[in-house]
Amino acid sequence: MASQSRRTPLERVEYVLIVSTLLLLVVFTLQPLLNLLALSLSDASKVAGFSGLSIFPDGFSPDVWLLLLQHPNVQRGIFNSVWMTATSVVIGVLGTALMAWGMSRPGLPGRRLIFILVLVTIVFEPGIIPDYFLMKRMGLLNTPWSVIMYKAISAWYLIILIRFFEEIPKELLEAAELDGANPFQTFFMVVLPLAKPALATIALFYLVLHWNEFFRAMIYLNDQSKWPLQVVLRQFVIEGDKIAIVGANNVNNNLGLAQINIRALKAGMILITILPILAIYPLILKFFTKGTMSGALKG
Amino acid sequence: MAAGSGQKIVAASSNGNVPVTRNGMLDQDLPAEGSEHAGRFLAGFRQWWPYYAMMAPGLLFFFIWHYVPIWEAKMAFENVRIIPPNIWVGWKNFEVLFSSPIFYQVLANTLIISGMKILFVFPVPIIVALLLNEVRSGKLRGAVQSAIYLPHFLSWVVIAGVFIALLSPTDGAVNQIQTAMGFEPVNYMTNTGTIRWVLVVSEIWRSAGWDSLLYLAAIFAIDPQLYEAAEMDGANRWQKIWHVTIPGIVPTIATLFILNMGMFLSADLNQVINMQNAVNASTIDIIDTYVYRMGLSTGEYALATAAGLFKAVIGMALVLISHFVSKRLTGKGVW
Repeated sequence: MASQSRRTPLERVEYVLIVSTLLLLVVFTLQPLLNLLALSLSDASKVAGFSGLSIFPDGFSPDVWLLLLQHPNVQRGIFNSVWMTATSVVIGVLGTALMAWGMSRPGLPGRRLIFILVLVTIVFEPGIIPDYFLMKRMGLLNTPWSVIMYKAISAWYLIILIRFFEEIPKELLEAAELDGANPFQTFFMVVLPLAKPALATIALFYLVLHWNEFFRAMIYLNDQSKWPLQVVLRQFVIEGDKIAIVGANNVNNNLGLAQINIRALKAGMILITILPILAIYPLILKFFTKGTMSGALKG
Repeated sequence: MAAGSGQKIVAASSNGNVPVTRNGMLDQDLPAEGSEHAGRFLAGFRQWWPYYAMMAPGLLFFFIWHYVPIWEAKMAFENVRIIPPNIWVGWKNFEVLFSSPIFYQVLANTLIISGMKILFVFPVPIIVALLLNEVRSGKLRGAVQSAIYLPHFLSWVVIAGVFIALLSPTDGAVNQIQTAMGFEPVNYMTNTGTIRWVLVVSEIWRSAGWDSLLYLAAIFAIDPQLYEAAEMDGANRWQKIWHVTIPGIVPTIATLFILNMGMFLSADLNQVINMQNAVNASTIDIIDTYVYRMGLSTGEYALATAAGLFKAVIGMALVLISHFVSKRLTGKGVW
């Protein structure tokens, strides 16, 4: 693009319009989130009339965050979300990698059949009621495992890994075989180290998928003490169950959390839930972008 | 002829390894097959069992979590009783379903919402990608991309929370702008005329940025020489977009459009269930929320399963049709 000097005034106006449109999109994307952040950090006395347009806190107070982070329901939600997501990611990455490795071997007997059986699960989903009854029959209802194992191995991510494994140079595997490695050793000592970037991508896919899962947790888990953060958030913000977070005693006697503006509490709760995603967002940008680009191009 | 060869097979297998030579080609292959097959199978097993062992947890998972529910779905054809066993009733549940007005309302809602999304959400990422491609500074483009991809990674619980705040009739940004301009505030979340648009706009908020990445990848794959040639011919920005960029991404647009059609009966349960409230419920009640409510709230398991199965079968047909159409037209399918 060395033609900078030859640009006509019209072209410059066009360019400004294009960039402005994109910046408008950025504002549309970020303003609602920044507004909630500003609201949650504003001084308690200023929250009542806080404008939905503002992105700067009015005064400053960390009270909302501190009170929420000390709240037993929120703490339990964070704890449940973290360990359930971590378990899902480990199971997901290991299970997907092991299965993808077998399915990527060209001579494997039954390879085509297994592939078709996996694709069927993408195309045909009998729905939530049969799933629910399966959990019931296995005695997994109201246990975290009903949620952890949901989509434990994703057919999509499996296909991505198969594609990746298929491209590992044959020479490397043959060299390992010549050194006397059995298939297990080859997999764990040659294939997995080679696949680190692909595994990191899959791990992030699973992490986002499981951190954001709420529906299965909502229908499978009756005990509030087992709820992940998303369900705690839903009860408070979407269902508007104020008492769940503020506490009946506080509401009745205007104590503790009841003195904090409910809007600010909700805003803080939303942000706490997306904080882990924000924390790994640079990694997400790096790996998701690459993974999606290459996946899309290969098709 | 057919009878003859049939006899030969019988003869061959009963004679074991001794070939009955009459028709060279066939006899050479047949006689030894029994034992050789077993031998090959054994050799194959010896070579491949470690791979099956490694695949076992995954295979077991797919069997239990994806194939057993297909078996469970037979409930749609049963009278589900509290004390087993259930009684087989054939198509009765489907007859009840197809004669209930609510089902048609729910089906209509699903089709309307999906239709609105195809019309108003689908084109947005294409436009975003075209705009991003015009940005000359890589840094600026990167910054814009980093910002607009973010909502894709947030849950619908979070997004619904954000939109409830954004659209609040008293303090929400939208209504504040509206009142400043002299309009009456509107409660978008509880207004049956606007709630479907909330679904459309929140879907744009969530996916327009991220989905543009797929188109951008396609644009970057266009041969730069085409642009140079167009410039030589004196093409301006819009002519280059129209004659080079858009033709270059038409296959991607077609693929994604067809794939979207395959999801037509879904209309996104996770989105709707978080945007639903007592007032707007009937306007955005879709098949999936109907299944959820009938099955898990009302306890009409058989009816709910029948509705879910209806969606699953039509959905499967749509996905398969779209896959093969897409494969035919653009060489790319669902998988």
